This record gives sequence, C-alpha cells and structure tokens, in this order.
Amino acid sequence: MSKSWKLFVWLLAAVLVLSACGGGGKSSSSGASGGSSSSSSSSSSSSGDAQDPVELTAWAWNVNVGALNEAIAMYQKDHPHVSLKVEDIGRLDVYDKLSTGLAAGGAGLPDIVLVEDDRIHGYLDAFPNGFANLSELGFDQYADLFPDFKKNLTSLDGVFYAMPFDSGPTGMFYRRDIFEQAGVNPDSIETWDDFFNAALEIKNKTGVYAFPADKFKDDANFRMMMNQLGVYYFDKDGNIDFKNPKVIQAMNNMKRFGDADLVKDVNGWDGTVSATVDGSVATIPFGAWYYGTIIDQAKETEGKWGVFLLPAFEKGGNRAANLGGSSWMIPASSKHKEEAYQFMAFFSTTPEVQIMAMEKYGLFPSLLTAYDSPLFTSEVSFFGGQKIWQLFSEEMPDIPTPYYTKDYAIAFDEAVKAQADVFNGKDPAQALAEAAERLASRTGRAVNEY
Amino acid sequence: MSPKSAMYRLVSRLILVAGAFVSLFPFYWTAVAATNPSGKVFAKPPQLVPGSMFLENLFNLNASIGIFRVLFNSTFVTCVYTLFSLTVCTMAGYAFAKFRFPGRNALFSVFLVSLMVPYHATLIPLFKMMASWEWINTYLALIFPNVAYPFAIFLMRQNLLAMPDAVMEAARIDGVGEWRLFVSIVLPSMRPALAAAAIYLFVYQWNNFLWPLVATSTKEMYTLPVALSSLIGLSRIDYGQVMTGVTIATGPIVAFFLILQRQFISGILGGAIKE
Repeated sequence: MSKSWKLFVWLLAAVLVLSACGGGGKSSSSGASGGSSSSSSSSSSSSGDAQDPVELTAWAWNVNVGALNEAIAMYQKDHPHVSLKVEDIGRLDVYDKLSTGLAAGGAGLPDIVLVEDDRIHGYLDAFPNGFANLSELGFDQYADLFPDFKKNLTSLDGVFYAMPFDSGPTGMFYRRDIFEQAGVNPDSIETWDDFFNAALEIKNKTGVYAFPADKFKDDANFRMMMNQLGVYYFDKDGNIDFKNPKVIQAMNNMKRFGDADLVKDVNGWDGTVSATVDGSVATIPFGAWYYGTIIDQAKETEGKWGVFLLPAFEKGGNRAANLGGSSWMIPASSKHKEEAYQFMAFFSTTPEVQIMAMEKYGLFPSLLTAYDSPLFTSEVSFFGGQKIWQLFSEEMPDIPTPYYTKDYAIAFDEAVKAQADVFNGKDPAQALAEAAERLASRTGRAVNEY
Repeated sequence: MSPKSAMYRLVSRLILVAGAFVSLFPFYWTAVAATNPSGKVFAKPPQLVPGSMFLENLFNLNASIGIFRVLFNSTFVTCVYTLFSLTVCTMAGYAFAKFRFPGRNALFSVFLVSLMVPYHATLIPLFKMMASWEWINTYLALIFPNVAYPFAIFLMRQNLLAMPDAVMEAARIDGVGEWRLFVSIVLPSMRPALAAAAIYLFVYQWNNFLWPLVATSTKEMYTLPVALSSLIGLSRIDYGQVMTGVTIATGPIVAFFLILQRQFISGILGGAIKE
C-alpha cells in the first residue's frame, strides 16, 4: 500500500518538475508551429513585387479541398509565386471558426473561405466589414457568366462579396427498376398531379414510398417546391412570405403526399441515405450533388437510377429549382486580398477548373460557359446512360432566386414546425399563418398579407 | 436459499444482461462498421459480422486526417492536461478546504459561479487573448486555458472537507512540514477522489471539441474530435473511415477508466491514522 503512495508522490513531483521545464520547452515549439502561419503572412505583406512568394490559406470541407488543390496546380503554371494551403474542416465547423475569427476582429482567419449560399447574406449582415468587396477588386466584369439566382445570392446591393462556385439544380433521382415494376413511365410525369397518381400506383404495386422526408426536422422538399414556384420564406425585401398563396400551395402539396402515406418518414441525412440504399423510396428529390452520395453509398444499384426534373405545379409550369451550393469569400482581414482574389477569380471563371471539379468531385458548376464541355452531354452509365448533366445544366438559367436573409435559420425552424403541424393534421394555411406570427415576433420582420 | 429469492436473482440478472446488451450494442455495431465498406452502414438488417475492410479503412483514414498524428496530439494534450489540472485543482481545493484566509468564501463562490458561465460566452475573449499571445495552433493553447477547472476544484474541496482536522493536527505536532503533510498524508487518503477527478478531467479534455476546433488551424495540430468532424462533408461521407476513427477514439477512454476504476474500490481513509 505505502509503495503505491510513494509512487504517486513521485509522479506528482515529476509533474511539478515537468510543469517548470515543460512551459519553457513548449514555448519554443510554439514559436515554430505558430510561426508557420503568422510569419508567412508577415514576410510577404510588403509584397509590391509580384514575384515575391505568397502563400494563401483557405478553409473548405470535403471534396472542395481536392478541387482547390488541383486548381492551384493549374494556376501555378502562370503564377509560380503563389502557393496555397488548404485546411480540411468539417462543413459546420467552418462556420464556428469563421464566426469566432470575425468576432475577434479577423484574428486567425484564412485568405479564402468556402461559405454555403444560404449563409452568405447572414454573414454580410452580422459582419458588414468582415469580407472583401469583390466588385472593387474587379469581379463585376464576370457577372454575366453566372445565372441570375447565383448572382443574387453572392451579392448585396449590387456589390459582389462572394465568388460563385457550385450549385444544386434539383431533380427527382428515381429508381428505374421500381418504376418499371409498377409500370409507370417517368417521361409521362409533367406535373405534381401526374406524379401523385404515379406514386399511388407505385405504392400499390410495389409497396415503395414516393419520396423520403424528415417530417419533423427538415423541410428540404418544401423549400424546393417554394423555390420552384418563385417564392421562399422571405420576399426580396426581406418580409415574411409564409402567407403567400404559392407557399401555401407548396405546403398543400406536401400534405397531399403525407395524407396518402406516400412519404417515408426518415431520420435526418443518414435516414435519407439509408432509404436511398435500401430501395424503400422510388424517388429522392434533391440537388445535383446527391449524385455523389448515390454512387458512393449505393454502389450495388449501378445502372438502376435515372433523373427527371421536379414536376411542375401546373402543365407547362416551372420545373427548375435549386437546393444547396456554395461560394468563395475573402475575409477583409486577409493580408493577400489581391492575390486571393486573382486566384479565386481564376478558379470561378475558368471552365477547365470548373469541369475538373465536376468531373472528379461531382461539384456542379454555376459557371454557364462550363456547360459547353462534352462532359455535359455525356452519358452517365450509373444512371442507365442518361445525360443527366445536360438535364441539370439546362435547368440552371430558369432557377428563381430564393431569399434567405440573415434570419434564414429562424425561418427554417418555424417552417419545420409548420410542416410538422401539417403532417400532424393541421390545415397548411393555418399552420403557416401561425408560423408567420411566431417568425415575426422572433425577427421583428413584417408579414406580407394576401 | 428460498425459491423466491432464486427467482428474484434470475429476473434481476436477465434485466441486467438486457441492459448491458442495449448499452454495449452500439459499440459493437460501430466496431463492425469500421471493418466494412461505407455503404454497409445503411444495410438492412444491420451488418453484424465483421468484414475485412478494417485495414483499408484505417489506411484511408490516415490518408485523409493523419490518424496517428492526431491520436498522438489527443493523447499528449489529454495526459499533460490531466496531470496539470489535477495538480492545480487538488491544491486549490485543499486551500479552500483547509486553510483560513481573508476572502476565502467569497473567492470560492466566484468559482462556483464560474461553473454556471456557458463556455461559449468566454470563447471569443479567450480566442482574442490566445491570438494576441500567438498561442493559436500550439499545444499551449490546447492545454492551458482550462487547467483550473472549477468543477474539479469543487470536487476536491468537498472531499478534502471530510479529511479530519485531528489527523492533520497530530501530524503537525509530530513536526511534519506543510508540504509533506499535503503530499504524504492528505493525498494518499484522497485516492478515490483523485481518481474520480482524473477520469472526469481526462474525459472532458479527450472529448473537448469547440475549443480545439477554434484554437487549431492546421491538420497537424488537430485533436481527434476535430479531425473526425472534418470527415463530415455535405453529401459525401465515407462512413467506414468515420466508424474506424470513432472506434479508435473510444479505446483510450475505456482503458483510462479501467485503470483508475480500482482506485474507487480500494480503501478510503484506510491507513491514514497508522502512518
């Protein structure tokens, strides 16, 4: 017994000694590792000469990291003095770090950061001086290379603050074998009414649901339908638009599928992927980026997939919508704004870069000139030889702008509650009107009356 | 033994076994998922037989986050932190419990109040402080900000209050110095409390996410939770890698707990007076 006490005493003594010398030892290592980021920025802050080496830093997540690294290699052919260090950070983690850094006056921020489109205006509102004015740096000349909705999402009051990257033109990813088994021809589906009847047929013959939805936690389907109808949580002036008849129409559409037991209730993202893999849903309405998830996780279903556009609300109506997508921003604290801008302008407006990102990483470009590539008319074997990229690229110019505002997260929360109410039996107009009141009191915004 | 109590024992065992199964199954499932390709995570019925992909998953995981470096960071930071923090908190708790000095109670209530301040409220000032010291992205920033951990101080103080003053007086009369009194007499009797605090501090630092996320900026400095989180992209997630990483991350906590668990059981104030 007393031996182990002695051991503990020795251990404690060792800690104390360690604490005395450890502090000194580590401060020297901090000089080395901390210096690598700070010294590089200070060493070249005096760069008037274009040949001084510049190391840019960027924050991005997942496949975007690979796209950036390949793009810098292409860029270095003409700009050998520019190098790039990309940090691979979780998608939501980027926002925690970015918000902290902006709140701390720009400390520790990179030169380039990837931000999802639905968050850009929120950041601009919370940190009006936090990001570089890209119009001043010359980005206006490229404006016409992008579809309207993307321009609206990346600019505020006519000034660009973000450079458009990928988009999520929507489609119904569907299982050919299930449609065939039920004897339904996907080409005949033009409207939601058509799809509703087809879904009933499929459910009757195969027992498979029409599409998945996280009924009580997410409203992605509802948002796609609103976007398709040219409406959203807010109108372009930032007023709450939940009482808009078109918003109610979208919610009614959700209700009809729910009432007929055609919606498979899933748990979040993982539940959606699970339903995709196990074939318990006939379609998954999502952005083009869902292609990557399908080919990664449902390898065994190769050749059984197809895509058609979201059905229209009336014959000949709009079938284009967008879900997801992101753009590049330059924090105002960057010491290399000019170099970062030059590289990202190259990244955003060079078709070869965008085609590389699409081909290797499945990141669907917003750059309209990229669609001329043969890639966009190629047949995709995983999708039964269908030219799915052509379908998505032709959709892009018709996508209406969704208005997110800085209160997007709160509006999303209320919309999900309204959707939950509807799935629990409440009248859509009623549920949305109540959500509008709650949202108004939480944000102080006006509600549009109709 | 009456048949009734035998019945009682059987039923209670069955309930315990069921409870153990429910709590252990997720770990088993995670470990199995670590040996299978990504899509199998979604298989129905769930995949319960280990596959042969563990090494490949581990290799991919190392390629994407440098698992060994990250594992070293987490282990190093957590062990050093636990030692430092345990020392500081025990001494602070001892001072609060056994020494009389002006403002002691006021100071202690400040500590208690700081238990209630949400961490997010101090995140930005702390980050600014670390940035101005150029500690961002160093081990210093990962280890030191929470060395004086209010809960551990509180825990140690409460336990030290139970230490009889008579024992300490006796030692003092025998001519034992304050330092030796603390190290040779007080500490050994505090082993269960020290073990509890150590486990608490270890788990806290091992799982700590937000601060390491904000305080590190390059892959080489990430801790395990931050690195694992970076695997979660928007739509393309390799679950094989994620599950392998999670399996690896769970191991050290279990090991640390098992090592210190014995301290709970062994004597409380056992030989204090005999010494």
